[in-house]
Amino acid sequence: MNFKHKYLFLLPGFLVLLGILIFPIGFTVRLSLSSWDSFFPGLDFIGLENYTRLFTDDPRFWEAFQRLSFMSVITVFLQYTIGFALAHMVWKEIKFQRFFRVLFLIPMMTTPVIMTVIWKTVFHESLGPVNDFFSLFGVTPLWLSSEALSKVTVIIVEVWQWTPFMFLLLLAGLLSLPKEPFLAASIDGAGPIRKFVYVTFPLMAPISIGAIIIRLIEASKIMDTVYVLTSGGPGTSSETSSFYIFIKGLREFQFGYSAALSLTYLIIMIISLTIIAKMLVKLMIRS
Amino acid sequence: MGTFYTTLKYTAVTIWSMFVIAPFLWALSTSFKDFNSVTSGATYIPWVDFEPTLEGWRVLLRSPAQGGVNIVEPYLNSIFVTCLASFISILLGTLAAYALSRYTFKAGFIKNDDITFFFISQRIMPPVVLAIPFFIMLGKLGLLDTLLGLVMVYVVLLMPIAVWIMVDFFNKVPVEIDETALIDGCNPIQAFFKVVLPNSIPGMVVAGLFCMIFGWTDFFFAFILTFTEVQLLPVAIVSLNSSITPWWSLSAAALVSVAPLIVVAFIVERYLSKGNLSGALK
Amino acid sequence: MTLIASNLTTKGKEEFFLNDISFEMSPGKIYTIIGRTLSGKTTLLKTIAGLIAQDSGTLSFNGNNFDVIPVWKRQVAMVYQQFINYPHLNVYDNIAFPLKQRKVDLAEIKDRVKQAIEQVGLEGFEERKIQALSGGQQQRVALARSLVKNANILLLDEPLVNLDYKLREQLREEFKKIFSSKASEEAILIYSTTDPIEAMQLGGEVIVMDEGKILQQGSAKEIYENPRSTKVAEITNDPAMNLFDGEINGKKITLNKEVILNIPKHFKDLPDGKYSFGIRASGVTIDKSGFPFQIELAEISGSETFLHLNNDQIHVVGLLDAVKNFNIGETVKVSFDIEKLYAFGSDGILMSSPYNGTK
Repeated sequence: MNFKHKYLFLLPGFLVLLGILIFPIGFTVRLSLSSWDSFFPGLDFIGLENYTRLFTDDPRFWEAFQRLSFMSVITVFLQYTIGFALAHMVWKEIKFQRFFRVLFLIPMMTTPVIMTVIWKTVFHESLGPVNDFFSLFGVTPLWLSSEALSKVTVIIVEVWQWTPFMFLLLLAGLLSLPKEPFLAASIDGAGPIRKFVYVTFPLMAPISIGAIIIRLIEASKIMDTVYVLTSGGPGTSSETSSFYIFIKGLREFQFGYSAALSLTYLIIMIISLTIIAKMLVKLMIRS
Repeated sequence: MGTFYTTLKYTAVTIWSMFVIAPFLWALSTSFKDFNSVTSGATYIPWVDFEPTLEGWRVLLRSPAQGGVNIVEPYLNSIFVTCLASFISILLGTLAAYALSRYTFKAGFIKNDDITFFFISQRIMPPVVLAIPFFIMLGKLGLLDTLLGLVMVYVVLLMPIAVWIMVDFFNKVPVEIDETALIDGCNPIQAFFKVVLPNSIPGMVVAGLFCMIFGWTDFFFAFILTFTEVQLLPVAIVSLNSSITPWWSLSAAALVSVAPLIVVAFIVERYLSKGNLSGALK
Repeated sequence: MTLIASNLTTKGKEEFFLNDISFEMSPGKIYTIIGRTLSGKTTLLKTIAGLIAQDSGTLSFNGNNFDVIPVWKRQVAMVYQQFINYPHLNVYDNIAFPLKQRKVDLAEIKDRVKQAIEQVGLEGFEERKIQALSGGQQQRVALARSLVKNANILLLDEPLVNLDYKLREQLREEFKKIFSSKASEEAILIYSTTDPIEAMQLGGEVIVMDEGKILQQGSAKEIYENPRSTKVAEITNDPAMNLFDGEINGKKITLNKEVILNIPKHFKDLPDGKYSFGIRASGVTIDKSGFPFQIELAEISGSETFLHLNNDQIHVVGLLDAVKNFNIGETVKVSFDIEKLYAFGSDGILMSSPYNGTK
């Protein structure tokens, strides 16, 4: 089919999105070439100076980026493993199936920032229930204020919040699988483990890849959790890229520099996500 | 299936269920505490561990002048912004997805896939990248600290979700249905509204649910782009956290904000079981 | 009210969907387009409907340029091989849809829908949901929706291919009846199929298509008797016509060392030389006086048995008018009915047929 009416369908959405975005994107590019900050607000032109600074004189940005990569890979890995296990468990006959399915979905329906506030009270080092439990063993871990544990706490909260999303995508995938391969495997006398390794997992590969990529995209934006739970601290020990850009831009008002950070970060993200997607396709399809 | 696997399965889902429920139970318990019960260490069961009070819940309905934090207005603001932005996103997103699924576009090297990527890639953009320019743009347009400004920003966040789900949905609906409508005398616009749309409701409901979830749970933009005039629920609740932390009202507010989305969880599960989601999410 | 196509051409990335298609069709007749899958049948039907625009060439209807009329204003109807109906409407509303779209008044809609429902034998199903119907019933709804419009051109794209064998036979008979009443009116009926038997049974004009080209057009009888080329002979026979290379050499036809046939009368004008010979399965049968062939496969179909036979690179399918079991590898004597032999030139063009279609 090819009628000129097609533009009437496409253009409203396209133009609205473009209209809202064209200024922010163009402006960010221009801003990144200026030294706009709270002392000298204005669009002057300083060439690539911000970018030079970023690449040669800003270890904090690269540390934050490393930390982000580490944290998002770990959380997405945990979310995928747990999400797949849960989806597999409530896929077939199980008592209270509906109850478990609904319950497992609920955390993703909650507002991350609000639940993080609650989690902050849960992990409160002297008044929270977690340390109330640990004090039975005579220890009180510093969940929020020690360099080692603050990252772990962020990861736990992220896993609680977003495993449901993985669970949803994977369960939807499992429910759409064709029945014939399983029947064939049963006839061949395959047990549950072999069925999973040779039938379920390979059939789920494309859906798994999609789900992992979507979650990696979302995980790379970790921000709300860090902001409420640790404010990037102690020191900069749980600071992620988004949070660092936020500090530079909206706390220290170095608009020009934070725009350069934003664009660099965005380009790194797009490139690395593309590479990860390609690697995952190779890995999953081969196994 | 072996008893071992069955035992493992029930143990695992029980443990995870407890992990899921734990923060809610803690919040529920905390919402009935007062300053003394909170600061005397972790307590759990009302009447046994502490004397319950309704103070945390009452604060939510009192005006700031009376030392309360009125969350009714932020609540209504959140509902308004989420619903309007979701509606616009679904409307425009469905139309665009239909065009991308059914028709071929070509402008130089730009083809359908590139346009689809343009829509969906907006989700890759970290909010912080857009925050400053949005801040400046809404300022220039006089839309800073207004509901309309937020709706505009949320449309950017939500339309990609609608396009993503609906392109997939339309790709699975046979094009012959549209063609039959054209042959039966509908022009393409009529064919869409009289035949395609009535048969796309399952996909649109799923897309709608996702838009609601991501709209309702956003914090960052609401936080950056509003100050005093309009406040959305998450911002209102987090602002409770600022000075002295009133855990009781914070917990009560959190529970109130979570409540409507529990209904959404039930609807999502219904669609999941009927198999409508599997088509829409892939 | 004739439909004239001149030089319709539509090109894909590499292959032609339509390659220089020209024809003239007049109302009151059935045109059967036969061709294998992906031969361009569907593309041609969709082009006539206006769903696809051709790259070049023109269509005209009733003396007017048809290309400028969008699909929704052309008076056409189409039935697809998938059972396509509106899932959100019941049977009655499905059939009434094109009439409502054209703002026919309600009383008339009622009459015409009732008549169409009777024609396809769906009385009592008016309120049913489409999903609650069997495949055959769904296809009847689709047909009724096409009939109710009294369209000028009725397109049927392999409408029976997705039905099971028995239902197909039954519906084909009904279709034929409906078409003969319909065709006597003012409509051009175009029916596409891959099934030679279907094409022969429907009668009317047959158009043979392959790779986007029209290979031959003529009455069913004409195409059966004188297929223009080996391609046509393959496409329009089920099982495909047996074809093998051989040589005419004086009074003999040599196929290989062992299989040497006498020359039939209708070959008398053919000069000596190499040819492709063709014979239908019905012309090849078991006979004590024949040549030794090995059985590769025996298929029983109804009261007949199809035998796949081989003798030193000559593979033929023969027909036995009885049900009999054979062992694979068994040797049987096979004879060829030379009066039913076709000869094609080395370019595949028909040189001589048993029905005197000599070139």
